[in-house]
Amino acid sequence: MSFRQASVLPGFGLTFGFTTFFLSTIVLLPLAALVLAAGSMHWSDFWHVVTSPRALGSYRLSFGASLLAASINLVFGFIIAWTLTRYEFPGRKLIDALIDMPFALPTAVSGIALTTVFASNGWIGRYLEPLGVHVAYTWLGVTLALTLISMPFTVRAVQPALLEVQRDLEDAAETLGAARPYVFRRIILPTVLPALLTGFTLSFARAVGEYGSVIFIAGNLPMKTEITPLLIVIHLEEFDYRGAAALGVVMLTLSFAVLLTINLLQGWGRRRHVRAAH
Amino acid sequence: MSITLDQITKHYGGAPVVNDVSLDIGDGEFFVLLGPSGSGKSTLLRAIAGLSRIDHGRIALHGRDVTHVAARKRGVGLVFQNYALFRHMTVAENIEFALRVRRMRARARRERRAELLRLVALEGLDDRLPAQLSGGQQQRVAVARALAHKPEVLLLDEPFGALDAKIREELRRTIREVQRELGISTVLVTHDQEEAFALADRIGIMNYGRLLEVGVPHDLYSRPATRFVATFLGAANLFLARRTAEGVQLGAAVMPPATATPGEREQEVVAVARPEEVEVAASREELGSRYLGRGVVDEVMFTGALERLRVRLANGADGPLLVMAGAEGEENGALQVTRTPASQRDLELRPGQRVAIGVRRVHVLPTPLSSFTACAMSASLAEELVRQPLLAELVARTLTRVAVRVEPQLGDPAAAPAAPAVGFSGTTVMSGSDGESAQRAEWLLRRGAKDLLVLPPDTAAPQRVLIHWMGEAARSATLAMSASVLRHLPAEAVYVGIFPRESADARQAQGLRALLDARSEAQAAHGLEMRTELRFGEPASELSARLAEAPAQMLIVGVTELSRFGERFRALLDGGRWPVLIVQRGPA
Repeated sequence: MSFRQASVLPGFGLTFGFTTFFLSTIVLLPLAALVLAAGSMHWSDFWHVVTSPRALGSYRLSFGASLLAASINLVFGFIIAWTLTRYEFPGRKLIDALIDMPFALPTAVSGIALTTVFASNGWIGRYLEPLGVHVAYTWLGVTLALTLISMPFTVRAVQPALLEVQRDLEDAAETLGAARPYVFRRIILPTVLPALLTGFTLSFARAVGEYGSVIFIAGNLPMKTEITPLLIVIHLEEFDYRGAAALGVVMLTLSFAVLLTINLLQGWGRRRHVRAAH
Repeated sequence: MSITLDQITKHYGGAPVVNDVSLDIGDGEFFVLLGPSGSGKSTLLRAIAGLSRIDHGRIALHGRDVTHVAARKRGVGLVFQNYALFRHMTVAENIEFALRVRRMRARARRERRAELLRLVALEGLDDRLPAQLSGGQQQRVAVARALAHKPEVLLLDEPFGALDAKIREELRRTIREVQRELGISTVLVTHDQEEAFALADRIGIMNYGRLLEVGVPHDLYSRPATRFVATFLGAANLFLARRTAEGVQLGAAVMPPATATPGEREQEVVAVARPEEVEVAASREELGSRYLGRGVVDEVMFTGALERLRVRLANGADGPLLVMAGAEGEENGALQVTRTPASQRDLELRPGQRVAIGVRRVHVLPTPLSSFTACAMSASLAEELVRQPLLAELVARTLTRVAVRVEPQLGDPAAAPAAPAVGFSGTTVMSGSDGESAQRAEWLLRRGAKDLLVLPPDTAAPQRVLIHWMGEAARSATLAMSASVLRHLPAEAVYVGIFPRESADARQAQGLRALLDARSEAQAAHGLEMRTELRFGEPASELSARLAEAPAQMLIVGVTELSRFGERFRALLDGGRWPVLIVQRGPA
């Protein structure tokens, strides 16, 4: 692209400058400060903090529950998006607006609401308790909270892609002899797969960083229901800024690794098609 | 027959989008469904494919009733306007889709794919993605894909719509060749008459959900039965003419009748002259055809092989008035003429030049709906009548005009019409608002109105038209009128057969037979598809009971004699609850 090409926004130079400036001050600089803070630790101290059994347990919960939540959203978010794009029914607009509620609510409110419902004496919790299912103060509750707050990402990512799968494509497949499940598997799913992966990635990223809603329902038992962000806060409360930074760096690295992997997978999928074309 | 459609009807929100369509398409035939957008042609195609449910009727493919068979089991191939290729699959995968669904072996699939790509002239593009192909190539892939599973029927929904002119022509030729080579029965939907002419063995023309006419392209072009077909298939000049014993009188010209119809009364008719059948010359003597009248050249347009003229009629004192059927203000009276290079050389024309107009050939439409005359006791009442929505809609849809006629003594049994010398021509329209409608209708019918529309105020277009005749002599005229009205209104037709109540049991079989006869005559002679109902009782009261059952209904009723008219028709006409069209044909 030529740098001189006319555009609505003022020149490329200016916009590129702004982009770099904003990314630097808002994203890169704080991250660099974090790494620097951790870097001032001695290597063995660092290692001691980030591999403590309590830290390891929190990684497992944070990433495990986030992946689980993102997977749940992959399925149910798709179903919700499908219902909203494919069917006309009274109240559709209302439900469509409700999807964004988790975005608008302070996360602490979501956490308190979930706890009220799922606590052993809550509306639903009291019926689950006799069945031996404990939601509040277990990893199940953590997953539930993460699912709730990351659900809009999947729905909103998939909706436009589903709108693009034209009815004609399904009609064409049907006249060619394909039954509904086959049409779904071979036509609809491949078309919306990139959007689904994007939704999955966004959901996962949101869930890993979540703090507010989880601490209310998790119970925060060390090694069992303690998520990494909470562990960081605990370090901070003990004025152990370096320890907090060290855990932060680990989270940063792991999250980045997961996101990069998904991105690479997506890119690989796209390239495979282009290669097939030659 | 490879495709049989029997009384296909589909409603959408109350109004029929496909209205009683019956059609047989032969083996290996290339059939084109032609019509403007919203005429129901695509819905009909989707119904054949099984993608659109129908409310009524029967569909058979090669003798197999598939009315309730799912699309995937019908064995049809469908091609869409926007190609509908699977974008994440290569050309090869797209074409093999139907074969893969049927679990065909890889080797057999490959062979079939190669064969199909050769057929649509796309060899070697197997591994491309749709996005890497041009529009024309994509549509070729779509055709190959639709043919992969060897369907019994190929359906094409505006397949050239998104392509530019040159590609369109190439693809059109390819599709015709493929169709001939495979001998596959094909239905193509289009709004482009040129495309229809280029491809079709037979054309079916649809409008307002009805299949108006079916025929080979040449017949439809030169002998259309309806105004819509006449004007939709190429340009047409429509005239109001008179059919007399000598022939068809059109302006100064009297054309000998193409087919003699003895015993036919003198009446107003609609005549069609194609622009290439109209001749212009410097003077009347230089015309090689029948002199029609004078005109002034309005516009000369060069279009390559042909020259297009618009000639404004200048009706002089030297002959009877020449009347164009359309009533579009200033546009009225502008005749469309096309000239070949040879005649352009003989006489060079410029706008403003005065010419003599001749006509080589006219075709008289068999419709009894020629023009309308709004008749009322004062000019303002008549004008009000002209503005009635149903009349305005009929006038607009039949491309005709509505005249105004003032009869100050309308309905007065003692008074003669104001101008007894001028007969009633076309369809007379009167207001049916008050309690004296029956009396006024009788007055008009006794003074020569043959077709009389009694129109209550603010009647909208009906959704159902009931048809009945009182006396066999009016049967054919009533059917012809009904067919004509229903071609211009998106409504369903129902013939109501009524027999005396006494001895109803004995009459049941006879009544049913009469209904079937009426239906088949309507279908065969007038191209009108109608449902039938059998009732017992006194005709007028049965009809008004039936009309009162639902809103938005209209009645077309044939009468043969006017004795006790007021008594018989009071229930139907007075009070003005529904429009009634009375067709009067005395026993000759």
